[in-house]
Amino acid sequence: MAILEVENIRKSFGSVLVLDDISFSMEKGTVLSIIGSSGSGKTTLLRCLNFLERPDTGIIRVNGETLLDASFPARDFQRNIRLKRLHFGLVFQSFNLFPQYTALENVTLAEKLLAQEKPDWKEKKSEYHRAIEEHGRELLAEMGLQDRMGNYPHQLSGGQCQRVAIARALALNPDILCFDEPTSALDPELTGEVLRVIRGLAERHTTMIIVTHEMAFARDVADEVIFMDGGKICEQGDPKEVFGNPKQERTKQFLSRFSET
Amino acid sequence: MKKLIAMLLCLVLLAVSALSLAEAAGDKDYVVGKGKLIVGITDFEPMDYKDENGEWIGFDADLARAFAAALGVEIEFQEIDWDNKALELNSKNIDCVWNGMTLTDEVLAAMTCSKAYMNNAQVVILPAAKLADYATVESIASLTFAAEAGSAGEAVLNDLGYAVNAVQNQAAALMEVQAGTSDAAVIDALMAAAMVGEGTSYADLCYTLPLNDEQYGVGFRKDSDLAAALDDFLAAALADGSLMAIAETYGVQAALIVE
Amino acid sequence: MSFSEQFPIVLGSLNTGFLQTLRLFFITLLGAIPLGMVLAVGEMSSFKPLRAVIRTLVWIIRGSPLMIQLLIIFYFPGLVFQTPLWGGGESGRFAAAAVAFVINYACYFCEIFRGGIQGIPVGQDEAGMVLGMKPAQIFFRIKLLQVVKAILPPISNEIITLIKDTSLARIIALQEIIWAGQSFMKGSQGISGAIWPLFFTGVYYLVATGILTIVFAKLEKKLSFFR
Repeated sequence: MAILEVENIRKSFGSVLVLDDISFSMEKGTVLSIIGSSGSGKTTLLRCLNFLERPDTGIIRVNGETLLDASFPARDFQRNIRLKRLHFGLVFQSFNLFPQYTALENVTLAEKLLAQEKPDWKEKKSEYHRAIEEHGRELLAEMGLQDRMGNYPHQLSGGQCQRVAIARALALNPDILCFDEPTSALDPELTGEVLRVIRGLAERHTTMIIVTHEMAFARDVADEVIFMDGGKICEQGDPKEVFGNPKQERTKQFLSRFSET
Repeated sequence: MKKLIAMLLCLVLLAVSALSLAEAAGDKDYVVGKGKLIVGITDFEPMDYKDENGEWIGFDADLARAFAAALGVEIEFQEIDWDNKALELNSKNIDCVWNGMTLTDEVLAAMTCSKAYMNNAQVVILPAAKLADYATVESIASLTFAAEAGSAGEAVLNDLGYAVNAVQNQAAALMEVQAGTSDAAVIDALMAAAMVGEGTSYADLCYTLPLNDEQYGVGFRKDSDLAAALDDFLAAALADGSLMAIAETYGVQAALIVE
Repeated sequence: MSFSEQFPIVLGSLNTGFLQTLRLFFITLLGAIPLGMVLAVGEMSSFKPLRAVIRTLVWIIRGSPLMIQLLIIFYFPGLVFQTPLWGGGESGRFAAAAVAFVINYACYFCEIFRGGIQGIPVGQDEAGMVLGMKPAQIFFRIKLLQVVKAILPPISNEIITLIKDTSLARIIALQEIIWAGQSFMKGSQGISGAIWPLFFTGVYYLVATGILTIVFAKLEKKLSFFR
């Protein structure tokens, strides 16, 4: 069964149609890359998946459970929205780390807050905290940041910040981890360390949706690629096919611009 | 909602008209009814000033206390900003102005006042060094004067057509002369006696040349029946000698009006 | 009277006046900060009429002199409604002054709070949301400290202005320190024509603002661990 099914998502801002009938699905443990020019709707699609935007129409299902059916009233969208969001993780282009917390605190804060909702929180508070901190340390070590756990975001480089943000998103064990142009805000010499980390996650079969402008990376790491244009899915398939032998004229044009540079 | 607002408005109007009726019933009844006479004053020796215990004393203060006792009410002294005396009265935050107040046309227009009870004059303040050059009213015509805004001194200067810098209070008028920003000042004779010359911050100034004769009275709200009540009280106090006794306590018996 | 004889009398009088100044200062802070927060929340509400009411209030209060507001609040009840709401005595004057100052400063604080809250990047909200946090958790755990840090300089500015603004209350004859200093020019407690007490009040303000400056510098330093 597909881990994620998206059906007929439409979204417009005012009179501008940003997403026009988007449908796709993906399997657990695979990596989906979404490419396309700026304004093609990639970021809006990710924001819909993370319930930061409410689609006008469409259905989102995770593991067969319908999280969103836009034909239901708006109230339904808000109900349990926190829990629905937890199926997804989101890594932002601009990191959005919490500046007053250390790297480790950034990673553990949400998990600690969620633990407060557990029935035995009061009795086992210190045990929970210890386990959560341990988990946070492991994640940061995986990101190669074992020496940076006590640093505040302003003391870290952009690449280090983005790796903290990835650890933060992973801390809640989302079903699907989404990346919104994770390297676009970085200096070119810092993109490598972030891409390496994402590649490592792909090798361990983390289910991921990656919106990116790094074409070579998308081709290497993705199991499936979607090319979006004007709010529609223009072409979709195996990366080798889409990159090596694009069928649509728009895809060819788009990719040729990248191969030139 | 609209009905509610309308009803509230009606209630407010009713309350206001009821209160206005209460006022029409008489200011004396109002003061007696609340059991307290609030006297608006400024710190003005020898009329109203504090003794070493912080109690208000002075010719006016003692007289006001006696008047309140005659009305059968308590007394409260409240220092006010002199510029706002009419405002304080009309807003009922005080019940009278009793502070060596000169009965000028402006005061008489704004308040209902008692009969005059004491004589005063407006005098010219000059640097002592210049005293000899300015001995007559004509000789001072070319000078620029400082006087308290709204005071009797300012009114006199305006009548004479002399140049006036209106300042915030009589003390500020003195400071103008001391600082040289005005050539001379015009203030109350009673105050001048206390404030300039040897032993004050204005040792180099002196006072001379009375510009007018004027008189002190007590101010009440417009059309208040308390003014007449005070006139009766003062007449009785004059007759039984208690008024003169108070005046002698503060050394102002010469200025008291005794006809 | 010699200066050394005047000094203790004047000091006693100025101390009494300054106590009134400080009372007005602290009560204004105590009232205006919470009221400012309430107004700021109201101004960001999605209920349009409420926003309009608060904006109008803020416009009127910030757009007119505090001195006029003091006069209106103290004198209007008696002048217009024949009901001297506050009572003419010193405590009534203090109450009226406190109300005027609280409302006035709440409006300034409201705008500072609103600016501070709206100045936090929306990404902080969204990061909290995708991590499954509740709105209250996002506000208190993530945004509040950032807001405090951002508004500290303008707030300290307002608070230092406030301690000097309290002298405006003398317009309704509240006997704060300037009033006390001025009384010796006219004559009070056997001292008349003395100019120096008025200027000496400046020392009190300088000490008070000096302390405030140090306190705020310490607070800013405390919050300098993040950017």
